[in-house]
Amino acid sequence: MAKRRPIPVRGNRKKKKRITEKPMYFDYQFLFLVLFLVALGLVMVYSTSSYTADLKTGSPYYYLLRQGIFAVIGIGVMLGAALFDYHKWKKLSLVMMVIAIILLGMVIVVGKAVNGSSRWIALGPISFQPSELAKIAIILFTAHMATIKAARIGNIKILIKVALFPMIATALIAVENLSTAIICAAVVFMIVFVTSPKIKQFVLLGIGVVALMGIFLLVASYRMQRIKVWLAPEQYEDGYQTMQALYAIGSGGIFGKGLGQSIQKLGFIPESHNDMIFSVVCEELGLFGAVCVIALFALLIWRCVIIAMSAPDLYGALIVVGVITHVSVQVLVNIAVVTNSIPPTGVPLPFISYGGTALLGLLFEMGLVLSVARRIKIPKEY
Amino acid sequence: MMTKTFTRKKIFVCSIILFVVFILLITRLSYLMIVRSDYYYEKANALHQRERSIKAKRGVIYDRNGVELAGNKPVCSISVIHSQITDEASVVAVLSDVLDIPEDKVREKVEANTIREKIKSNVEKETADIIRDKNLDGVMVDEDYKRYYPYDTLASKVLGFTGSDNQGIVGLEVSYDDILSGKPGSILTLTDANGIEIKNEAEGRIEPIPGNDLYTTIDINIQKYAEQAAQKVYKSKQAKRVSVILMNPQNGEIYAMVNVPEYNLNEPYKLNYKKTTKMTDKEMQDALNMMWRNFCINDTYEPGSTFKTVTAAAALEENVVKVDDTFNCPGFRVVEDRKIRCARTTGHGTETFRQGIMNSCNPVFIDVGARVGVDRMYKNFEKLGLFEKTGIDLPGEANSIMHKKENVGAVELATISFGQSFQITPMQLLRAISAIVNGGKLITPHFAMCSVNNITQEKKMFEFKESPGTIRKETSDTMKELLEAVVAEGGGSKGQVPGYRIGGKTATSEKLPRGNRKYISSFMGFAPANNPQIVGIIMIDEPVGTYYGGTIAAPVMAEIYENILPYLGIEADYSEEKIKETMSGIYIEEGD
Repeated sequence: MAKRRPIPVRGNRKKKKRITEKPMYFDYQFLFLVLFLVALGLVMVYSTSSYTADLKTGSPYYYLLRQGIFAVIGIGVMLGAALFDYHKWKKLSLVMMVIAIILLGMVIVVGKAVNGSSRWIALGPISFQPSELAKIAIILFTAHMATIKAARIGNIKILIKVALFPMIATALIAVENLSTAIICAAVVFMIVFVTSPKIKQFVLLGIGVVALMGIFLLVASYRMQRIKVWLAPEQYEDGYQTMQALYAIGSGGIFGKGLGQSIQKLGFIPESHNDMIFSVVCEELGLFGAVCVIALFALLIWRCVIIAMSAPDLYGALIVVGVITHVSVQVLVNIAVVTNSIPPTGVPLPFISYGGTALLGLLFEMGLVLSVARRIKIPKEY
Repeated sequence: MMTKTFTRKKIFVCSIILFVVFILLITRLSYLMIVRSDYYYEKANALHQRERSIKAKRGVIYDRNGVELAGNKPVCSISVIHSQITDEASVVAVLSDVLDIPEDKVREKVEANTIREKIKSNVEKETADIIRDKNLDGVMVDEDYKRYYPYDTLASKVLGFTGSDNQGIVGLEVSYDDILSGKPGSILTLTDANGIEIKNEAEGRIEPIPGNDLYTTIDINIQKYAEQAAQKVYKSKQAKRVSVILMNPQNGEIYAMVNVPEYNLNEPYKLNYKKTTKMTDKEMQDALNMMWRNFCINDTYEPGSTFKTVTAAAALEENVVKVDDTFNCPGFRVVEDRKIRCARTTGHGTETFRQGIMNSCNPVFIDVGARVGVDRMYKNFEKLGLFEKTGIDLPGEANSIMHKKENVGAVELATISFGQSFQITPMQLLRAISAIVNGGKLITPHFAMCSVNNITQEKKMFEFKESPGTIRKETSDTMKELLEAVVAEGGGSKGQVPGYRIGGKTATSEKLPRGNRKYISSFMGFAPANNPQIVGIIMIDEPVGTYYGGTIAAPVMAEIYENILPYLGIEADYSEEKIKETMSGIYIEEGD
């Protein structure tokens, strides 16, 4: 492990694929997909929030402006991260991990209550969600640790060592926000899974987690109630939001009502610019538009998979794996919740749902992916 | 350190799994958005659409000459929409001032955070215009129609009135509700979750279809005159009530139906008399129901002597008696173990059947009834429609209460023969009498003449059942002649109208339970006697003082006829000398 070098030299592999000293490649296709998703997100945030924003704040642009500012900053951050050598995150990720754990601990103690759960920390005028920082720290840190211990990660003890700090952070997140914790756990799991040559222990772990989840559900009766609401949302008052989302999705039909024409966003779906935004996408743009959005995510993820598989080194690949896991789990869970395919839980749709810190974090992660992509060595015969 | 092959494989396999899940989600979406689309679309629409209904203009009720009896008055309803109010204080001030409602009550409604709060409905147009002119945000003035009865009390128990939703509550307003009510239209608007209408959203508007107008057989002049006459006797005899029916016996068209005291149709929930004690809600409702009752059709009574017409017709129809058959009246008749008295306790002595009718002699009718027998009597009752409702086009018609045929012994038959021990409605009696005097045609009494569509002007005549041949023409002719004699020379002499041939029969029936000295005095009369164009009945319920039908009821009918016969175009066909002759008729105190 040549920690000091900006560009890691290859390990003792037989093939003599040299990595060029200067980054050669910039993945414009990936950049385009990201920018397109951000733009679509702004359009949808405006569409969903303008009516309620006008009623509440007197300006229909209230949410759009805030999101737009974050998007602009985020794009800057993304480009910065893309140009920044990702190997430099190795050391920084240690610091980030520590800060994240401290902040997560603070949030539990002094968190500012927003929407019932305290996930925010107020830093002067800026509210800050430490779990967003934690996600990034977890990706970078886990990737770093896994890279260091890659050779011996088959050993359970080593595996636990690799995952220890990220799992502490995840546990802290789980106190307030189970769905984010699940995403973080998935990120950690995927990174160590692809690093490790073994499969069986992960399958066993998977089964164990599912069993634990089952017990978890059975023990807490209010969670069972959630399952009941999920199975028959029309019969429960708690199923209101789900039903409203389904009304929106169903009434969209194949081609939708047209952009801006949603009725469900007019207060029927609570905070339709947040987690439930996809249902308004369905209502306004129809099945056609919804499939297009899913296809955009699929393309983005596929692009990440390609980058991960052709990454110049394991660390780069693992960072990208972490990012893919984060984005794809969030997309899957969000769409599954909105379509009532799984019990309801609050996960925003990446890039599209309203949320400044989340967008900022995501764009930073995209910057990481771009940074990894830049160092891909294009084979000579290409 | 280069990425190992198994790492790449794992990444690849995981991404494939991921895409499979994506496809599953797309499948789920397709199911929701194609298969379930209509279901959710409709549910969502039901949630978004608010329907504001537009009242349809209710059809007008006219009399036979086209005079409006029940019309519509434009009124307004004032409501407020909390979320649209900008200047709450002035809204409260203006509304409470103009509408004369206490400020706190208005404020309560103005502050209510509901979709729409109605402040007052049925506001006069002029008042509403004042509010409209103030141009207050959040105050809605909606045009509306209110049922209006220009003659207040005229034919109140026939016309009936409507409720707040323009639906008929009693009377013709109920029986012809389908024709009159039309179809309400609606404005469909899209609203947000708070029920606020979304501007610029296309409104679906379904125009209301106005109701059809109804032309009735009522003649406002006849109705008015009959009401006046009834009112007069109601006052002078301090009666409980006075009812009059005037009908064309040839086709069943009712010219007038009076039930004094009438009530004000524009204020149907206000009693037409002073309340003596404080009433509970239930008592009040009972009192109102009583006030709305149409005694001509909703209640039965013992007809008494007017029913002798039917007995006589049955006897003639069955050929068991001839006009000149002689009977003997000692002042009573013993039937089985009962001694049934005649009104004239000293007896009429020997008399013909004709004289028996003129004298309204009970023993004569007991004998005649016995000759007819139960079977034939009931057969004729049935032919004359006494076992069935008349089919009049008013709601809540009562039916007769008769002895079961197998329970009719000699005593019952005797009492039935002179109109006691059973109950029928005045309308049933008048219908039977109509058949007797019109040549045997059983008609359906009715008010509806035709309906006119307000848009197409299409006219639809109403048809009512007529069954001819219930009794023979000869029987009918004989009956007309006998009943004319009752008025010309017998107990109905006060029913005479100078210059006209009037047929009729009086009755004084003691109300049950007997012995309370409460009577219903009535008179049935028709004119011209040889070719009846009008038949009428007047009933004075519980008159104070003289209670003989021939004395108090017959003159009222005579007074009505005196005025309306010329009005109906029926010419006096007696010369002046003849008039003097007829006016010298004798008066005989009649039987009960």
